[in-house]
Amino acid sequence: MKQPGQTAAKLVSIIVPIGARRAQDIKALYDGYKSGVAGIGMPFEFIFVLDCVRCEVQQALEELLREGENFTIVRLTRHFGEAAALMAGFEHASGQLIVTLPAYDQVEPADIGKLVAALDDSDMVVGHRWPRYGNPIDRARRAAFHGLVNFVTRSRFSDLGCGARAMRRQVFEEIDLYGDQHRFMAILATRLGFRVREVALRQSPRDRLVRSYRPREYAHYVLDLFSIFFLVRFTKKPLRFFGMLGVATFSLGVLLIAYLSVERLFFGEPLADRPALLLAALLVVLGMQVFALGLLGELIIFTHARGMKDYRVEKVIQYSGIDATAAEDSDPAPGATSGRNTDIRQAPPAAIA
Amino acid sequence: MSGAKLTSDIERPGGGAAADRASQSHASPQAPHSRPRLSVIVPLFNEQESIRPLYAAIVQAVGDIGCTFEMVFVDDGSSDDTVRIATQIARLDSRLRIVKFRQNYGQTPAMAAGIEYACGEVLVTMDGDLQNDPADIRLLLEQIEAGFDIVVGWRHDRQDKLISRKIPSRIANWLIGKVTGVPIRDNGCSLKAFRGELIKRIPLYSEMHRFIPAMASIAGPRVAEIKVRHHARRYGQSKYGLSRIYKVLLDLMVIKTVATFASRPLRWFGLLALPLFLLSLLALFQTLTGVLIRHGGISLPIAGAGIIFLASAIILLCSGALAELIYSRGDIRDQEFFRLTQDTRPRRQSE
Repeated sequence: MKQPGQTAAKLVSIIVPIGARRAQDIKALYDGYKSGVAGIGMPFEFIFVLDCVRCEVQQALEELLREGENFTIVRLTRHFGEAAALMAGFEHASGQLIVTLPAYDQVEPADIGKLVAALDDSDMVVGHRWPRYGNPIDRARRAAFHGLVNFVTRSRFSDLGCGARAMRRQVFEEIDLYGDQHRFMAILATRLGFRVREVALRQSPRDRLVRSYRPREYAHYVLDLFSIFFLVRFTKKPLRFFGMLGVATFSLGVLLIAYLSVERLFFGEPLADRPALLLAALLVVLGMQVFALGLLGELIIFTHARGMKDYRVEKVIQYSGIDATAAEDSDPAPGATSGRNTDIRQAPPAAIA
Repeated sequence: MSGAKLTSDIERPGGGAAADRASQSHASPQAPHSRPRLSVIVPLFNEQESIRPLYAAIVQAVGDIGCTFEMVFVDDGSSDDTVRIATQIARLDSRLRIVKFRQNYGQTPAMAAGIEYACGEVLVTMDGDLQNDPADIRLLLEQIEAGFDIVVGWRHDRQDKLISRKIPSRIANWLIGKVTGVPIRDNGCSLKAFRGELIKRIPLYSEMHRFIPAMASIAGPRVAEIKVRHHARRYGQSKYGLSRIYKVLLDLMVIKTVATFASRPLRWFGLLALPLFLLSLLALFQTLTGVLIRHGGISLPIAGAGIIFLASAIILLCSGALAELIYSRGDIRDQEFFRLTQDTRPRRQSE
C-alpha cells in the first residue's frame, strides 16, 4: 500500500468528538494535544465535533478561535453519539492520516507521536492505556468485557475504551460506523482487512479518578457485545444463527408435545391442566417466528448481495504496454524484473452493463 | 494471434449472418481495451510452487485454441511467495491481472472477485492447485459456443482420497441435485465456464462457490456437464476437509429457500400460513360450538391449539409481507434474470 518512511510530508487531521463526557477545561486539553501533535513534526489540523445540546464548550472554542488559534468546529444539531461525531469530523478532514482523540484526558498528549509513528507498518493504531490505574473491581469488569469481546470476535484488544487512535485515511473511508460502534472501530477495521496494531500509551493522571458505573452502562455493554457478536459473526449468514435457534426451539416444542400426547393417549394422563402444554405450544410458535426472521435476514442479504462485498481488494496488478509476444515466455527469469515499468493500478472492477 | 477469426465462428442458437457481420467489424482484438473472448479465473492461496506451471499450462492450452484471452489470478491473502512470483509473470505478460486481497477471505470471495474483475465474454474458473487441466478449457468453450450458459466439469476419475473426499462429495452432490433441481454430478469441481453476462449477475457470497450452478438456477440457465481430467495434487496441502458438510447443508437450505421464495415471498409465506389458518379455524369453531350450542366446557388443548395455529399463521403472513417489502426494495429481480438467458442473439461488443 503506502511506502513506509514517507509520512514526513503528510497532513495529519486530528478529530476530537466532544460528547457528554468532556474535560472541564477544553483550552488546557487543546493546548496539551497541540503540543503533543506538534512534537510529531508533521503539518496538522484540528477538527472539533460538538456532539451535544447547548454545550458551553462552543464558547470556549470560539474564544480560542478569536485568540488566533486555527481549527475547524463541526457542530451537530443534537447528540448523535461518538461514532456519528467521528464520521462527521472525517467529512471535514483533509489529511492523509487521521488521528482521533478523546475529549477528556485519557492519555499523555506527548504519546500521540507514538501512535502516528506506529502507522509506518500498519494501517490503524489504537491506543492502549498502560500502565492502567483503577481498583480491582474496575479491572475485573474491564477484563471480563474485553475477554468476552475478544472471544466472540476472535480478536485481541485490551483497551477498546481508549479514544486515541491513528489511521490512514483509507480506513475511515471504508469503515461505516453508527451507534456506539466507535468502541469497536479496531475490530471492524480488522474485519475489513486492515492491519491494526495496539500501542501502549501512558494514562493521563486526570483519567485516574474512580468512576462509578450505573446499571444502565452495564446494560449498554451487554447490548454492544451482542451487536458486535452478530455483526461480526452472522451478518452474512443470518440463517445460520436464527435457523439454529429457531430449529432448536421448534424441535424442543415438538418433542414436548409428542411426549404429552403419548402420555395422554396411552397412559390416560389428562392434557388440559398441564402447564407443559402451554410451554410446548409457545416453543413451537417461537421457533417458527425465529426461523422466519432468519429467512427474512437471508432475503435481505440476497437482495443486496451485489452491493455488499465479502472481500477487500488491496490492489490490482497488471502491467501494460509490453509487447504481448515477448510475454509468451512462460517461465521468466527473476532477473527480467529489473525494468521497473510498474503500472500498478487501483483498478475499478470491470463494469459490464 | 487472430482472435477475430475464431470469434466469428461462434453461433448462439438462432445466431446467424448478422452476428458474423458484426464480428467482422470487431477489427483489432489486440487493441488495449478490447474485450477478450475468454477470461481464466484462478483463485490462489499459498500456491507458490504451482503458479508457474499453472501459468505455462494455461498459456499453452488457451494459446492452442487461438482466441483472445486474459488471466485473472486472485490472491486470497497468501502468506508465501505467491504474489511475488505472480507479479514477476505479470511484468512480462499484460494479459495477466492479479487481484490481491488484503487478507484471506476464502474461496467464494476469491471466485466472486475474479468474476468481478474479469472482463471476458466467457469466464472460466479453475483451481490453482493444478488438479484441473487447462487443456480442458477447450472442451468447456466448445459447449459454451454450442449455446450453453454454464458448463461444469465432472472429475469422473477423481484423484482424491475415497473416504474423506469422494464419498462425502458423492452424497453432497446427490443432495444438492435433489434439493436445487440442478442434477450435477460434481458441484465441487472448480473447472467451470460461464457466459460472462450471466455469472456477473448472480450474487455469490458466504460459501456459495460450490453452488454456483444451483445459485445460477434462479436465472434458468442451460447447463452442460462434461468430463474433465483430474490430476492428483502435486504441491501443497489440500485446504478443505470433512468439516464443510455442516456448512454445505445450511447453505443448501439457504439457496433453496431464497431461490424459491425470492420472486414471490408473500405467496410462499401465505401458502405456508394457509393450512395453519384453516386448522385454527377448525379448532376455534369446535370450541365455540362447544360453548354456545352444547353448553359444555372448553377443551383447553383444542382451544389452545387453535390459538397457536392462528398466531403462527399471522406471524407467517406478516413475515411474508415484510419479505415482499425487502424484495421490492432490493436490487435483484427475476426480470433481469430471464433477460440473461432468453434466446436472443447476443449483441456484439462494439469498439
